[in-house]
Amino acid sequence: MKLEADRPPLLEVRNLSVRYLAKGGPMTIVRDVSFDLRRGEILGIIGESGAGKSTLGNAIIGLLDPNFEPPEGEIRLNGKAVVNGREREALRGRKIASVFQDHTASLDPLMTVGSQLAETILATGRKASRKQAQALAIELMGRVGIQDPERRFISYPHQLSGGQRQRVVIAMALAGSPEIIVADEPTSALDTTIQMQILRLLRRLVDEEMVSIVLVTHDMGVISEIADRVLVMKDGQVVEEDTTSSVLETPKNSYTRSLLAAVPRLRISDARQAKHHEEHERAPILLVEGVSKAFSTSGMRFLGRRSEKFALQNVSLRLARGAVAGIVGESGSGKTTIGRIVAGLETANAGSIVLDRAKYDVSLRGSKNGLLGRVQMIFQDPASSLNPRMTISEALVESVRFGLKARSENKVPGVEAMMDRIGLSKNLLNRYPHQLSGGQKQRVCIARALLAGPGIVIADEPTSALDVSVQSEIIALLRECVMEQNLSMLFISHDLAVVQDICDFVYIMKDGRVEDSGPSRSIFAQSDNPYTHSLIEARPRRFIQ
Amino acid sequence: MTNVILGRFLQAFLLLLVMSLIGFIGIHSAGNPVYNIVNVETASAEDIREATIALGLDQPLWVQYVRFLENVGTGNFGTSYIYHLPAFGLLLSKLPATFELAFLAMLPAAPIGTGLGLLAGRHPGSILDGLILRSSVFALSIPSFWLSMMLILLGAIFTGWFPSGGRGETLSFLGQNWSFLTLDGLRHLALPVLALAIPNIALIARLARSGTVEVERLDFTRFCRAKGLSPSRILFRHTLPNISIPIVTIVGLQFGGMLAFAVVVESIFAWPGIGKLLIDSIQLLDRPVVMATLTFVSAVFVLLNALVDITYSILDPRVRVSV
Amino acid sequence: MIGMKIKSAIPRPALSVSGIILACYVLAAVAAPLLAPQNPYDPLQIFGWEASSPPGSMGSGGYRYLLGTDGLGRDIASGILYGLRISLVVSLSGTIIAAVIGLSAGVAAAYFGKWVDIIIMRLVDLQLSLPTMLVALIAIVTLGPGIDRIILALIIVQWAVFARIARGVALSEAGKSYMDAASLLRLPSYRVIFRHLLPNSIAPAITLMPVEIGHAIALEATLSFLGLGVPIDKPSLGSMVASGFQYLLTGQYWISFFPGLALFGLIACINFVGEDVRRRLDPRGSSL
Repeated sequence: MKLEADRPPLLEVRNLSVRYLAKGGPMTIVRDVSFDLRRGEILGIIGESGAGKSTLGNAIIGLLDPNFEPPEGEIRLNGKAVVNGREREALRGRKIASVFQDHTASLDPLMTVGSQLAETILATGRKASRKQAQALAIELMGRVGIQDPERRFISYPHQLSGGQRQRVVIAMALAGSPEIIVADEPTSALDTTIQMQILRLLRRLVDEEMVSIVLVTHDMGVISEIADRVLVMKDGQVVEEDTTSSVLETPKNSYTRSLLAAVPRLRISDARQAKHHEEHERAPILLVEGVSKAFSTSGMRFLGRRSEKFALQNVSLRLARGAVAGIVGESGSGKTTIGRIVAGLETANAGSIVLDRAKYDVSLRGSKNGLLGRVQMIFQDPASSLNPRMTISEALVESVRFGLKARSENKVPGVEAMMDRIGLSKNLLNRYPHQLSGGQKQRVCIARALLAGPGIVIADEPTSALDVSVQSEIIALLRECVMEQNLSMLFISHDLAVVQDICDFVYIMKDGRVEDSGPSRSIFAQSDNPYTHSLIEARPRRFIQ
Repeated sequence: MTNVILGRFLQAFLLLLVMSLIGFIGIHSAGNPVYNIVNVETASAEDIREATIALGLDQPLWVQYVRFLENVGTGNFGTSYIYHLPAFGLLLSKLPATFELAFLAMLPAAPIGTGLGLLAGRHPGSILDGLILRSSVFALSIPSFWLSMMLILLGAIFTGWFPSGGRGETLSFLGQNWSFLTLDGLRHLALPVLALAIPNIALIARLARSGTVEVERLDFTRFCRAKGLSPSRILFRHTLPNISIPIVTIVGLQFGGMLAFAVVVESIFAWPGIGKLLIDSIQLLDRPVVMATLTFVSAVFVLLNALVDITYSILDPRVRVSV
Repeated sequence: MIGMKIKSAIPRPALSVSGIILACYVLAAVAAPLLAPQNPYDPLQIFGWEASSPPGSMGSGGYRYLLGTDGLGRDIASGILYGLRISLVVSLSGTIIAAVIGLSAGVAAAYFGKWVDIIIMRLVDLQLSLPTMLVALIAIVTLGPGIDRIILALIIVQWAVFARIARGVALSEAGKSYMDAASLLRLPSYRVIFRHLLPNSIAPAITLMPVEIGHAIALEATLSFLGLGVPIDKPSLGSMVASGFQYLLTGQYWISFFPGLALFGLIACINFVGEDVRRRLDPRGSSL
């Protein structure tokens, strides 16, 4: 360790500023940022969208888009200043490697992953024959935890799962034995359980292979799991820098505190479980009974070959009046499909839905069986859930005019009162969706759903596309709406903590089945279902109480 | 994979059937061909009636169509009203001329166009990119008949370097006459080949450019740079294969298009190919020849389409393996 | 920075050179009777003995033949101005009608799906798998000559392109959440189509318009050149070029050259303007 102290830090960034050449003149994206990266550490850079964290990462790799000005300030590697140009290109892949967020887009779809890896090994200056490069590639694939690397060597990217692809991407980053890996949101495109595996892999690489990692992310959970130190960024500036534990436990900056406060926490122990259990026993407003849906595989069925896969298998759910039931699952679990069937947007092969004591045959189209129109939805992506060519007021008025208003029990407030209710200024009524922020758009979507006076509301990942701080506001708003209007809601999410936060009862889905269910206060503490446990395991430990 | 190919050919066959029907009806309604083979001024009603029966035109339309289909199956399209030769044989005799023209035009056009497109797409917004892009717009805006005439004006009339039309000396090879085997034939080929190649170079260049820009913007090329690959390796090993699918398509289709419809260029350069034959036959209402040509052209086109689709599935592992 | 979108940093002039030239073309076509010294459709104004006069020669009508005369003694400059009107009217009306038909068909195919979609799209596939020239030839051979027939042929050739684009866009729009929201409100079909689907599917078709107008002009000119287009007594630019072909070989280049040049300039301007429009509407395709 003594030796370590004498040497300069691995990477020193001093007064780095990056400007973007926007239409109205240059925009400063990164402002006067300085930090050190030490050997064998993971430095997390966290911030919300627009904080400049990705630009900072790209500036370190030396891969800024051409419409950025060359960065000002200094970057030193092993005490030696890094200058742009040929020398810089020679560093890429050899000294500084990178891992991007989108594992699908990071790989050439037309080349086997093995060739891509071998190519990287050869390109990063190892003197090796093709054969040796192949052997090295297979060894690397094994090191990043790819099962059966010999067989995977000749696979094309589309034949691998998301997690495997990201492992291949990491193997490529390792190919040139770099000293630094800049990982930009390396796990954001993955399911939570896979996410945790990749994070552990990154930690292991730092511990075993003497690389250091700059980890760019928006997710406090990721930081808490593997980062040694954290840089908190806001509007292009560093607002706080400290070790991970001090940032998490004693944040000094108010922005950091608000970021931390907004992170949903999973509570495993809670005393109020009994009461909520009773709530669930109340009369149901919605009963989903034995819904199954087969997907026929896509592609050309020419000679009658047809394999059937089940998107949903015998799914039954129950939603009490005035309650919120959550459906949790990873991608492909069927949680969105069941939501759309309940809303009458999709049909199923078998099963029925009882809504407000009326029974609907879900093998019929929603417009035929009368289900369509009784349920309103709040969608994941606020950007695409509003018609870009209609003003906010037009969208809301349409909802009042064509909604179920006449049949609803509560009197629906007017459009202006509703804007008030969801915390938006009336001035926004004449705006178009693109003039609103993501959070504002999602509020409008909530208003639109409520104005139609629905029997129940289905919220399908309503916060996933939003920044953390906005997420918690939207959750709070939804909770208020449920309380005040005696609304019943199905809440679909991949995030256990968010679900626990707002739901009374939780269903956990996996591969089209309901795997586990229980009152939200107790299920995570008491369930003995192994899948539920693996989901809890995949949560960042520091955000479990 | 086999399913893809089989399905594709079934589709192609159905397409051909529909097209032959449309073509048959189209030509039928265009005018009575009897008046083309009898002298209108001197022929008696009897002459016309006999000619009508001789041509089979007294039968109901559907009988004529079925008879036509039967004949198509056996390669018998009837006898040309004008040349008094079997229509299909007439067509085949014109094929080598068109084929060598189309082939010699595409031979340089595909690589030059791809090269220019890659060059432009590597640095979008650069001066070179602007130049290539702008020239391609100009090249695609020149009406082909005017381009051909200007080439004649410059290359034949003002300078006298090249002849203005015809095939020139030909040499027999594989039982057919070819111009490209003699110096004189090559001189005759130069201008029409140029007239066909220029718009194709522009078209391919634009396609290759937009493909390159698109691919270079994808994360994986950025990732290739990040992992330390050299720009030339990225260009040839990653970008080029990824843009090759649309380029193969356009090359295939354009080649088919030229094979079928070098109408304008062939007419202007008096090149005795299929296009000229078709236009002449349409104007002379020589129905068997028109039908033979249209059917042949459609068949070539539909087959090329199918071949291009199959090439897709060979070039793209996502299609190749998943089916 | 995730998902951050900033439009191209390079500013573009509001009016391009090609746009200005194109405007001049249109003005010249509109004002042709005022600008042209001769009415080429009026036999009394044409002096047959002055056929094939070279550019700049003095005519009996008291004006110079700036671009010469053709084989019948018609002033080429006047012929171009009148020919422009035909080219523009034919191509504009053909393309606009084709766009309206194609857009409606494409959106209808996407919205109604099932057999409506199958029938429309099979037709589109069939047509797009053939070269436009073949379709145009079949159409013109079937329909016979005449300006209205040419327009009809252009519609037949072009509607499929618009239909395919419109259907693709409408399908992707139909997959967006706001369309789900519209279904959840059980909006009547007309409202879904006219208030939600159509307004959001129109932009790409409009982007396509200039390019297709350019194609239409070229196609009309080619058909006329082949003698299958507009009647000979009302020459369009294409037939003017054709009429000069035989003179070209004897060195009287102007009869073909100037009408062809005018045609080339017109198509080029339209294509450049089209390129500009596309770049403005789709910043992704720009020099980012």
